Amino acid sequence: MENSSDFMLYRLIQDKDKDALEQLYDRYEKILFSFLLKMTEDRALAEEAMQEVFIKIWRGTGEYDESKGKFTSWLFTMSRNSAIDLIRKRKKPTVPLDEINDMADGDSSVEQKAEWQEQKDQIQTAVERLSAEQQKMIQLFYFKGHTHEAIAEICDLPLGTVKSRIRLALGKLKKSLHGVQEGGAIDD
Amino acid sequence: MTKMNCDHVIDYLNGTFTEEEMREFQLHLNSCEDCRELVEAVGELPYLAEAAEPPAGMKARILANVFDESHQQEPVKEETIKAQEPSIEAAQPAAKPAPKVVPMVKPPKERIWWRPMIAAVLLVSLLGNAYALMQLSDDDGDGGAQTEAAFQSIDLQASESFGGTAKAALVREGDSLEVVVQGEGLQALSGSEVYQIWLLKDGQPIPAGAFEADAGGQGAAFYQLEQNTEEWDTIAITLEPEAGNELPEGEIVLSAGL
Ligand SMILES: [Zn+2]
Repeated sequence: MENSSDFMLYRLIQDKDKDALEQLYDRYEKILFSFLLKMTEDRALAEEAMQEVFIKIWRGTGEYDESKGKFTSWLFTMSRNSAIDLIRKRKKPTVPLDEINDMADGDSSVEQKAEWQEQKDQIQTAVERLSAEQQKMIQLFYFKGHTHEAIAEICDLPLGTVKSRIRLALGKLKKSLHGVQEGGAIDD
Repeated sequence: MTKMNCDHVIDYLNGTFTEEEMREFQLHLNSCEDCRELVEAVGELPYLAEAAEPPAGMKARILANVFDESHQQEPVKEETIKAQEPSIEAAQPAAKPAPKVVPMVKPPKERIWWRPMIAAVLLVSLLGNAYALMQLSDDDGDGGAQTEAAFQSIDLQASESFGGTAKAALVREGDSLEVVVQGEGLQALSGSEVYQIWLLKDGQPIPAGAFEADAGGQGAAFYQLEQNTEEWDTIAITLEPEAGNELPEGEIVLSAGL
């Protein structure tokens, strides 16, 4: 239901309905900003990426339709790409290895409850079931937006195996999330 | 072109595909449940982010920039417009004290984008072409061609020690009052100084926008008062030590009766 109303909003936006864009903005401001901040670690850069996302949506760059799966997946992918563009332009030196925090960190008793707590609990549980190396792959690839070359260097891997390692990690994530959603144990 | 298969899902997620490749992989996704589920699972990762409070005013800045159509056309003239209030047009540093006009009071539709245009029109015509302005304001949708707008153009007089000049235009439309000011030959500002515009009645001022002077000594501001209840008798510009003052501290450099 949430998806269909996202899609309805998106259709209105394609017809240049400003109220619809504002509604969509309100709906996703917090999660997008939090996600982009996690990626960029820079509030100004996160805002810039956020602006790019909404300019793209408003101008209809990279159209969404329901065959592309969940609206949020599409929105997050586009947001991540905007952030990666900005991160690479910034040319900040690569984060040293020991600065890479454990992705699924966070003492949840202290941490502020997020509006998306339910989704967070699920994906966090799924991630925690992965090996440390797989978690690192996801962190470097997905959140840091590192190139395969950079990942090869950071992890001391041959460039040729980086892609398959990422794929393996994401494949495990998929299975693990499936397991969590089914309410059962990991299925392999 | 090679047929897309499961090996390409990483490239797909990375956004490195051309539109053509994107479409091709889309076909693969439609037929491959494995990849589809993987993409969906990855789409849950952003929820790992810890909740962060967005910066103050971010929504107003972003929506203004999104809706600003001229954004796409490298607005040269608008670079000099540094309106302080309402702070909708310019992406201002969040550190500035928030003006008392709350940015997202939802101005009437269509307002946001044509505001900078009015300022631009006035800049170009040096306030000489009121007719163009009237046409613009007829376009704003609420009430069609019947919108009554009163337009007043004023030359401000410089105080004795001040070399610059400025013109102002006041547009009254229903309850709202819009003020456009353009200055020339302005002396350079130092530090956090701004040229602050005031509207006065019986000697009581309210701030009505502020601007800075560019290297060529020019500057302009646009200000809108949504609910204008006063009959202002004077417009004045002071050289304020900083932006955001509610009452003038600096000297009056330009002024005129209304
Ligand atoms: Zn596949």
